[in-house]
This record gives sequence, C-alpha cells and structure tokens, in this order.
Amino acid sequence: MLNVDNISVRRGKSPALQDISLTIEKGKTLAVVGESGAGKSTLIASILGMLKPWCGTITWSGSPVRTCRPALVMQEPRAAFNPAWLLKQSVLEPVIARQSNLPPKRLKRLCAGLELTPDLLNRKPTEISIGQAQRMGILRALIAAPPLILFDEPLSALDAVTQKHTARLIAHLQAEEGFAALIVTHDLGYACAHSEEIAVLKSGRIEEVSTPQDFIASPKTKYGRKLRDAAVSLGALERAA
Amino acid sequence: MTLSVSGLSTERSGRIILHPTSLSIEPSARIGLVGPSGSGKSTLGHALIDDLHRQGRIVAHVPQSPDEALDPLRTMRFHWHEAEAALGLPHDAPRQQQLFSALGIAHGDLRKRPWGWSRGMQQRFVIAMALIGSPELIVLDEPTSALDPVVAADSMDLLDRFLSGRQTAMILITHDLALAAQRVSQLMVMDNGCLVEQASTSALLNTPKTKAAKALSAHRNWMPHPC
Repeated sequence: MLNVDNISVRRGKSPALQDISLTIEKGKTLAVVGESGAGKSTLIASILGMLKPWCGTITWSGSPVRTCRPALVMQEPRAAFNPAWLLKQSVLEPVIARQSNLPPKRLKRLCAGLELTPDLLNRKPTEISIGQAQRMGILRALIAAPPLILFDEPLSALDAVTQKHTARLIAHLQAEEGFAALIVTHDLGYACAHSEEIAVLKSGRIEEVSTPQDFIASPKTKYGRKLRDAAVSLGALERAA
Repeated sequence: MTLSVSGLSTERSGRIILHPTSLSIEPSARIGLVGPSGSGKSTLGHALIDDLHRQGRIVAHVPQSPDEALDPLRTMRFHWHEAEAALGLPHDAPRQQQLFSALGIAHGDLRKRPWGWSRGMQQRFVIAMALIGSPELIVLDEPTSALDPVVAADSMDLLDRFLSGRQTAMILITHDLALAAQRVSQLMVMDNGCLVEQASTSALLNTPKTKAAKALSAHRNWMPHPC
C-alpha cells in the first residue's frame, strides 16, 4: 500500500505541495485532477523520491517507495525514451533492472493489447508517432509487472477510441496483477471511469477526495464543482441527474 | 456568402493522404471535423485554408498549442501588430480592446513575452489574433487539448459567445466526438484520408452509418451512463 503522510514539498522557495496525505491500496487506482500548475507532477516526483518533502513521509507498505521499484508513464511520450536506443532496449530495461524473467508471450500480449506491432520495437523513438510513443511508455511501465505504477497524463496523445482501448487494457491487467495506480490527468471522464477515488488538487493542496460517483453528483468544494461543470461542458462527463 | 472548395487532395512522399474532397460551408456554420489520429483531419483543415486563401477569402487558423503560434522571443504586442500587418490592417486599439474583453484577456500585459502569460491566456490570445480580420471561417485544430478543463471550457464558451450572431463560420477539428457534440451542429467524419460521413450532430450521434462514425459514436463517452 502506498502511504503519503502529510507531506509538504518546496520548489525553490515557494511551496509546491502542502499537507498532502493519500493512500492507495493494492489493486486500486487514485486519480489526481486539477488545474495546470496545481502540483500534480510534483506529487509524482515526490513519490518517486526525485523531490524530497521537507516534512512528512512517503512509504510503500512501510518501506521507502524505491524498494518496490515503481514504474512511471511520463507525460512527454518521446522524451521518455533514450533517443539513441532501439525501443526494445528501453522497453525491456525494467525487466533487466529487476533481474526477473519475462514470461513467454507477455511482450507479444501487451503489444497486441496496446495495438503496437512488434516491428515498432526495432525502431528509435523518433521513428514512431507520438501516440505510438505514448503506448510504448505504457508498455514499458507494465512489462515487469511492478506493484505500483504512476501515470502522468498517460492517454493525452491518443485519439478517443484508442484511449478507451488502452484504459481498458490497463484496467484488465490491474485486475489480474493487482498493482496500485496513481493517475494524474486533466481528463475527468477517464479519471471517473477508471479510479476508485478522485483527489482534486489546487495550488498544492488537496481540496477534496471523493469517489467518482460522489464527485460527479456533488463535488464538495467550489473548485471541484467548477472542474465537474467544465468537464460536462467539454463532453468529458455526463452529469448525474 | 457560402464558402466552397472542390477536389481538395494532398499527397506526401508519393502517398495520398487526402483523397479528393469537396465541401461547402454556410456563414455562421458550426462544424466538427472528427476522426481517429492520422485520418487526415488536420490535412483537410490545412488544404481547405490554403484553397480559400487562393480564392481571396479571409480564413483564420488556431493551432493545437499556442507554442505553434507564438514566438517565445517576441512580446505579445509584437505578435498582435504582426497579425494586423499580415492582414494589411492598421493598428486599431478599440478592435483590440473589444477582442481582448470578449476573450477575457483584457488584463494581460502586452509587454510580456508568451511565457509571461498562462497557457490558457496564450491560447485565448491566439484565438483573438485569429479573429482580427473578421474572418469568414475560423479553423480550430484541437484548440483545448493543451489546456486544463476549466480553462478549456471557459475558452470555448467565450469563443461561442463572441461568434454568436456573427457571420464567421467555425470548423472544430478534434478526435473527441463528445467535445465536438457539445459545440457544433454538424459533423464531418474523416477516415483514411477520406471524408466518409456528413450529418447533423444529433443524426450522427444517434444513427452513425459508416464504420468510422460508429466507432467514434460508440466510444464517445467514458461511461455510457452516469456512475
């Protein structure tokens, strides 16, 4: 279980996150939504240990998070890969790092589920489309079956149909393998459809945490309502009657 | 006056990426151009703009990200004056004020460079620039995908309000049928470089005819019913 306990993080002199507490059980998904600059990506960087909170702790089942070797799907699909490497090298790196064996057919199965043809693995990041690069990033995160995956805008470069296929594959694998997931997204529709809880982040603070049902029906805060109404007006959510 | 183009097509590296396409667009029309990635939506948008420019029509384009429209080394004032000059128009402060007020950026500091403005304000500035010459058509290519939902919805609402009652037609290019359905009255569906279906928004949502339109319609919502 991921346990973020009352952390505060500074970027330079200004506070980027304040008094954040969250938990994610194994097999569950928490979606973090909010405006640009609210601190969503800072939260991911803190969980990964790339930024050190000046107070509070972040643990995975009582140990430092790095001990569970979490996976990250980065926001910028192409920048997430070493440009000099073939994609196959990058995608298989987590398996090598864990010194684990890749179950037979796993790569093939994941490629098929992500609608990636195996020949793409023999290309470099600049030789595939941005949507393919984003799905390669998801493939790399899933390949070694980590217990915790952090998704930073994982579907932003995909079209509406592929988004739904990809989200379903991730949910299917999560049900099979039981990883905990944190999704940072602007897409309220995705957040509500594929998470057990929604956390609304604004100016570095958590405004509210609700189930998707409660968030759609009656957000608890003014900003939560604004966000819900915006998602309805953009067609991302249908408002509960 | 109705805008018409016929036989638009585009070839890249010997491959046809837009098959011959003809269109007519009525004044004040609100059209969504939808389809999967790589189906040729943006290509049709560009070909349409080029053809209409050649016909001497005034057409404006708003790209996906303000980064594509704004030079990080130039001030916002420079961009505005450059856009006016490109249309052969003298600087008109009242027009600028009217557009800035309509798009909610009247408080923006024009001495700053793009990165001194938030992304939402940058995108609304780009939309305001596109409206300078009272275009007959404004083509918006995924205009909200780089913005957070509140800013995206505000920007689209402000644009809707500004365009209502005017002759300017709008084409909204998006992969997201649910977004288009909220904003337009007609939909055009692209697939593999072809315009495969055109219908009113309600007809296309309820009775899509082609495979591409059926896929878009079936996948338009994350949840078929509210949770």
